[in-house]
Amino acid sequence: MKRSTLISTAGLLLAAYVAVPLALGGNQYVMSMVVAALIIGGVAMSWALLGNLGGMVSFGHAAFFGVGAYVSALTTVKLGLPVFAAMLLGGAGAAIAAVIMLPVLRLRGPYFALAILAYAHIFRILATEWSSVTGGAGGINNIPTLPTVFGVDLASKTGAYLVVLTLVVACALAYSRIRASHYGIALRAMHDSEDATRVVGVNSTLLKGAMLLVSAFMAGLFGAFNAHYINFLEPDYAFNSLWVTLPIVAAIFGGYRTILGPVLGAVVVYLVDQLIFKSLIPTGHQLVLGVLLVAMIVFSPNGLLPLLQKWLKKTVAKEKTHA
Amino acid sequence: MLELDNVSVRFGGLTAVDSVTLKVGSHDVIGLVGANGAGKTTLFNAISGLVRPTSGSIRFEGRDIMATPMYQRARLGLGRTFQIPQPMHELTVRENLVVAQRFGTGKVDMRKIDEILDFTSLADKAQRDAASELALTELKALEVAKALATNPKLLLLDEVLAGLETNGKRRFMGMLKDLHAAFGVGIVMIEHDIETISNLCQRVAVLNFGRLIADGTPDAVFRDPAVIESYTGAAHA
Repeated sequence: MKRSTLISTAGLLLAAYVAVPLALGGNQYVMSMVVAALIIGGVAMSWALLGNLGGMVSFGHAAFFGVGAYVSALTTVKLGLPVFAAMLLGGAGAAIAAVIMLPVLRLRGPYFALAILAYAHIFRILATEWSSVTGGAGGINNIPTLPTVFGVDLASKTGAYLVVLTLVVACALAYSRIRASHYGIALRAMHDSEDATRVVGVNSTLLKGAMLLVSAFMAGLFGAFNAHYINFLEPDYAFNSLWVTLPIVAAIFGGYRTILGPVLGAVVVYLVDQLIFKSLIPTGHQLVLGVLLVAMIVFSPNGLLPLLQKWLKKTVAKEKTHA
Repeated sequence: MLELDNVSVRFGGLTAVDSVTLKVGSHDVIGLVGANGAGKTTLFNAISGLVRPTSGSIRFEGRDIMATPMYQRARLGLGRTFQIPQPMHELTVRENLVVAQRFGTGKVDMRKIDEILDFTSLADKAQRDAASELALTELKALEVAKALATNPKLLLLDEVLAGLETNGKRRFMGMLKDLHAAFGVGIVMIEHDIETISNLCQRVAVLNFGRLIADGTPDAVFRDPAVIESYTGAAHA
């Protein structure tokens, strides 16, 4: 890593882990908004990973989110597993759900998008109808909260923030490792022509399948976190299509081809929407999001993060010439 | 090394490749000629695994590869280039070779990559974006370089000279001449230009409407009346 990126990464981490809790920790409402934004940001990152590395547009991530939530909730409630172990199982459960979706990889573009959407509905129906296990439409109550670790109550707003932030950081690290690997380079190469990579020995179907599993695991992880954060699940909530539409908006707004763009997009879009527009226009405030998204696509199709990076580079260059 | 036995490829009612039987040895440099639509590229596609033959069998180094997927055939040592270059987008020239080498051979050897870059005259273009910053000659060279990076035993070259201007063509000819000796690969090349073929190949195979109508030394084949008729007849039509 270059020194400048190392310093900016360290600064970013310090701000996220220390400055944000110190500045906003007293305000429960704002803190809960930030946590929600990071959950959406995490799903957005997982969605963008699939799009950026696998070249796939998924409308099915609500399924991974929901499966992760249900698996984690059920393994804690029914089997008494510790919360963090259950969350990992939630991610694994979502990845297994993705295995069932693997045949869909044979399809391309809009066909893939539609097929995965249909697949996603299967899980919602399963959660509703298999009531002996899932509690049916009534849902699951009293899902265990996040534990207290080293005297820090992770179930508090600030504690939950630290947990979800750590999840985001861990996923971002995994994402960047994958992207920088030879597999990541091959995946980038597959974007325009899969035959061009197959002819030199790349098993493109396997790589795409692997990305679907990684992406599902991440989305499931955030679904699982959310289940323990709000302590309640029902099918219409856990598999709500908002869990895929909001992340898509966030990812495209923030820059889906960057790692942190989707997270930044989620924080900006969600906070601006909830804290500003919601109080100005109580009903139909989401309309503004649509306008924002269209504006971003028109003026900076690469998204917010690439736009900021460009602006930053320009400013730095200007400073240098002035100095 | 490569044995085709009665290979046919049919698309609906059209027989693109018709019962072709052909043997390629590891030291062969073979020209594959024939008019447009004679089935040359389709035969390449069948060998490399892009299309599945309707009937017949394909063996590579003694093993049946009919059911082997394209990426596996590449790993076995079957390299090919496309007539319309297919660079890997979003990657630099060097990254193209790294991916080809990493996945084609299982490991990365930068010295070998430098060697290939030198051989294909791409050394000073290594950091360029493969899809957007190369001229046609360089794109064609990259096709060959990518295939070489997979460490092939047999190389299928699909009209690598077509569309090049005279200078590029001459440079490329020189490269092709050395290819077999430098990398120890057997070569089958689709080419239209008889002079080029006579210059580079010890053996010529001729396809006409999907059928193999001649297979022999350039001298013998290009004197064969059936070949002359199919060739000139189609060329002047």
